[in-house]
Amino acid sequence: MMDFFRKTAAGITNPHVEDWIKRGGRVIGYTCSLIPPEIFHAAGLLPFRLRGIGTTSMETGDAYYGPYVCTFPKCLLQLAGRGDYGFLAGAVVSTGCDSMRRLDECWRKAGRDFPGILPEFFHYFDAPHKTEPHAAAWFEGEIRRLIRAVESFFGADITDEKLKESICVYNKTRRLICELEDLRAAENPVISGEDAFCAILASSAVPPEKFNEHMEHLLDELRSKKATGGGKAKKRLMLAGSINDDPGLMRLIEEAGAAVVADSICFGTRGADRPVDAVTDPVAALGQKYLAGCLCPRMFGEYDRRLNALAEKLTRSGAEGIILQNIRFCDLHGSENSLLEKDLEKNGIPCLKLEREYGPLTDTGRMKMRIEAFVEQIS
Amino acid sequence: MRPEIYEYDFDWMLWRCMEAAGKIADGRQKETRRMLEYIPYFRDTAEVFVNLGKPGITFMKMISRYLENIVCARKQGKKVAMTTFCFSPSVFYAMDIVPVTLEVMTVLATALWKRGTADYMDYCVELGFTETSCSAQRGSLGAYLAGLGAEIDFIVTNTAGVCDTNANAFAFSHKHLNKPFYSLNYPSGLTDEASSRYHREDFRGLVAFLENQTGKRLDQDRLKQVLEETAKQEKIVGEMEELQMIVPNPMPAAYNFIIYGGRFMFAGMPEYTKLVSDMLGVVRKNAEKGVSGLFSGKERIRAFFFYIDHYNMGLSLWDFLDRHGISHLGGILSRSFKDDAPYMKGMEDVAYRIDTADLDSMIDSIAMINSRMPMVRSIRGPYDRPNMWLEDSLMLAEIYRADCLIYNGTPGCRNTWSNVKLMAGDLEKAGYPAHIMSGDAFDERVESWESTSARLEEFFRIRGLL
Repeated sequence: MMDFFRKTAAGITNPHVEDWIKRGGRVIGYTCSLIPPEIFHAAGLLPFRLRGIGTTSMETGDAYYGPYVCTFPKCLLQLAGRGDYGFLAGAVVSTGCDSMRRLDECWRKAGRDFPGILPEFFHYFDAPHKTEPHAAAWFEGEIRRLIRAVESFFGADITDEKLKESICVYNKTRRLICELEDLRAAENPVISGEDAFCAILASSAVPPEKFNEHMEHLLDELRSKKATGGGKAKKRLMLAGSINDDPGLMRLIEEAGAAVVADSICFGTRGADRPVDAVTDPVAALGQKYLAGCLCPRMFGEYDRRLNALAEKLTRSGAEGIILQNIRFCDLHGSENSLLEKDLEKNGIPCLKLEREYGPLTDTGRMKMRIEAFVEQIS
Repeated sequence: MRPEIYEYDFDWMLWRCMEAAGKIADGRQKETRRMLEYIPYFRDTAEVFVNLGKPGITFMKMISRYLENIVCARKQGKKVAMTTFCFSPSVFYAMDIVPVTLEVMTVLATALWKRGTADYMDYCVELGFTETSCSAQRGSLGAYLAGLGAEIDFIVTNTAGVCDTNANAFAFSHKHLNKPFYSLNYPSGLTDEASSRYHREDFRGLVAFLENQTGKRLDQDRLKQVLEETAKQEKIVGEMEELQMIVPNPMPAAYNFIIYGGRFMFAGMPEYTKLVSDMLGVVRKNAEKGVSGLFSGKERIRAFFFYIDHYNMGLSLWDFLDRHGISHLGGILSRSFKDDAPYMKGMEDVAYRIDTADLDSMIDSIAMINSRMPMVRSIRGPYDRPNMWLEDSLMLAEIYRADCLIYNGTPGCRNTWSNVKLMAGDLEKAGYPAHIMSGDAFDERVESWESTSARLEEFFRIRGLL
């Protein structure tokens, strides 16, 4: 079962996506944890979280974006320019952060210069940066606007019932991810951090029903697997900070003598422990989950909530230290990591603050050396 | 930070500097010239203002009082709010709150001191605030984070949804200084009903926050006074901006700087009304004579700055413009987008208006003003949407008959560096030569003024503008 997850994590597309399209299904890409995939699922579309993996050059990304910008959205644009996202029927870009929200303009512009690289359905999802009632109302308004846009373009009918069904499917996904996380964090883990990450990553790249099916099989396999005992010798670390969809980063950490037993990153388990209320008004419930539950430093003034969530996860997972990484030019995570470092170290939790580039791990040597030193430090 | 930097408070040093600067021109002209010889590092900056005559000198004295208010706020029992240039201070003045506007303070120190704000910027990095963050905040923020300035009572920002790095600086300070924090937040739309409703509700949240922090109710009469004064100021500025449309532009190059700097520091204050009235007098006279506001009196080309200006090396940008006969037509920073502004004719529906009929309409008015502050109005949404950066810049460039458009910012500006290439491309397509300056408006270490000015000269020469 792990082979399937590893292959899914290794590249943009996977057999399930290809099969979905072959059967006439349409795929919609989205950029951020603020966008509820339940909406696309309820419309009969395949939600696919956009990834930048496999970028080998940056001529398109650099042609539209300026130089002082995070490499993640640049990689997305690069792949779009290369035609890797040609399978998308639609894409939704959110205001997750400034660099990411400008993907809207850069992709649209590139689409004019290179016909065919811009999905026909292209939507800008505008999310507030706070959670007061009037901001929650704005967010719900945006969810409704997205629903109307999807309905109108794809001829779908997204009823409350369908939304609730999709919420239940995704809640199951979240529950399974949490179960996997428990296994990853067991005293003697039966799965490596890298493999667990590959499996979790697939949740945003394959139909959720299929993911749930595969994940149940994987969990069964893991539960029956005898712990090797190898994990005991490793230092237990948590990974937090900027977005990451590259299993190579996990591998790098684990090759340095650690086991990644928990994470708080996009594409990882961040937010999986909070299901969506499947009983009340689904739009309000999605708003509650995706805005009020958002653990990204883009939510200004909510540092304490994020610190508490991180501290809780650290305790639950038994992590002995934490790597707080940020992609260069990600000021939100970069600055917050410093605050976290100060507060966590005060409570005796060793922290490693690490800046990196997204994409091929060009600075692998430097990072490996720093991680090894950190692991040694907490030994 | 170097130990000697800890010896004096940042805002106190700025105040004493400006206090002295404001007195430079108090004597006779010969005395003033003699005095300038004794301040070699500050001379260029002082000359920018001294050469402007009464308005320039008044502006320096006003800045001195602004800084004095900050330094003496606590002694006078006033609350101090850390805030941003994207926020109109009028509501603070109506509530007797003293604003510390980080970007304004950074500009002052950048222009005044030989080393600029490098020490304070680097101190932010020492604390873990990223070096890639915007220097506009870092320049003075470092001082306040180090406790080298007036004690901050609370923090108010206006840039969530508009500029992450800006809002993040205030969110970071909120945690580092452990001070109460209110962040206004903007949807990408400007004029739709939902956005307008949101602006109003969000601003009411701010008023409640300020009342809570000060323990005082918002004084309706005082607010009315401040808003009426603001309306008066904008009317006067509007007339100057109307005269700016004339070829040659009768407005001196540095007036735009005083207009927006004054607005960020003194909106709603009677002394700012007096200042812009004096400036209008000069502009009117030049217009009557049909001469350019440049010192040479000859305008060779007209440049519109579609982001911010450049403040390093003694405000050398303005000297550069003057020497080359380039009229500064203002930019996104200097325009306020009020309904009676000359460039808003036919677009009053997307402007703000000031209505002092009752408390509700006044709060709505300030909410509308704030939603149209620099950056807040133009770069909140996709740049090519109606009423956003491209449309605003093209509209202003056309009205003011710009020969070219120039971008200057900071490498910390994730927002505009993400789309400035697209913007420049569109401006070129519309027939305007566009130049992207790659330095840092506040940090000369990024690119020296010599390089910046050489590139500017190259642009003007290659594009056949000069």
